[in-house]
Amino acid sequence: MWKGGGSVKSECSSISKLLEKYFDQEVTPKERSLVEGHLPDCPACRMALDSMQNLRILIKSPVEEAVEKENFPWVWEKIEKGIQRKERLGLWDFLKSWLDVTPLLKRKILIPAVAAAVILILITAPLLFKKTTSYPTLSVVEYVESETYNVMVYELETPQVTVIWLFEGPEEESSTS
Amino acid sequence: MDVNEAQLISRCQQGDQEALKEIFNQYHQKVYRIAYGVVRQREEALDIVQEVFIKLFRSIRQFQGKSRFYTYLYRMTMNTAIDHTRKMKKVPSFSMDEEEGFQLSDDAERRPDRILDHKELEARVKWAMDQLSPDQKAVLIFREVEGFSYQEIAEATGSSIGTVMSRLHYGRKKVQELLKDYVEGGR
Repeated sequence: MWKGGGSVKSECSSISKLLEKYFDQEVTPKERSLVEGHLPDCPACRMALDSMQNLRILIKSPVEEAVEKENFPWVWEKIEKGIQRKERLGLWDFLKSWLDVTPLLKRKILIPAVAAAVILILITAPLLFKKTTSYPTLSVVEYVESETYNVMVYELETPQVTVIWLFEGPEEESSTS
Repeated sequence: MDVNEAQLISRCQQGDQEALKEIFNQYHQKVYRIAYGVVRQREEALDIVQEVFIKLFRSIRQFQGKSRFYTYLYRMTMNTAIDHTRKMKKVPSFSMDEEEGFQLSDDAERRPDRILDHKELEARVKWAMDQLSPDQKAVLIFREVEGFSYQEIAEATGSSIGTVMSRLHYGRKKVQELLKDYVEGGR
């Protein structure tokens, strides 16, 4: 029951229950006609309605005045800038989230992660640092010339291999010389 | 929701800032009215408008169209404004006391023939509104400033119509009592 307008007569208590809904235009047509039939004879209910109306004016009027005075285009410019700033911050947060190990610590998965990394290094290090196999250096140990065959003896440093090269035919020798 | 609005929302969900601008052009005044209704101060209300549209752009992907878009936006506005008032609790420039009520600095101001200055009256209204719970304040502003129906208020606040009517009734009653010199009928 709305009591803002002062004392409400007991005989109109049933109507006063509808008064707030009537003021807010939430009554049915039947309720509306009941209230409107009652109001001309009830100063208390009219006063209560006036109070509600005055309160609405007090609350609403300054808002309406503020809206009329305001110029909004610059507000949009600030919103655009705000969105861009947030996007930049968002990118930075994304990078930070990649660099940040705190979540790993929180989730207690750092130890297994480190262990996995160490194992991976142990496996890959020999492959990475292994000396590339160069062809072992050959050294001519001896070269023997004769009328029939020329012989060249090669020796590899590692593994210990000895190669004996036999030049067949005098034509070949004569062609290389 | 009409087709144009649905398309605007869809574009905005894909990160189209032009679509957000169109939504801003359509709704900024209503958002400002709600914000101003809560904080009753220009700069703070404008800060809230900015915050709401930036927040909307970032969170609109979560809007699935289950409720009407404007109730979604107005709920976001009301929540942002109420959060803002919580953060901005600062010492007022005039004396406010729960028991004594609003006190003007000069005794002469209370003369019966005194016509209150516009700003002083607005300060009184702000003070009275600040005595309400956030729920009561939200319902009162949706109804008195925006003219929402009970059904629309229920959607925007996520409560039943009965709860809306109750909050509205007790909210009005409290503010009316605090401002009885200015609202009582027959003045």
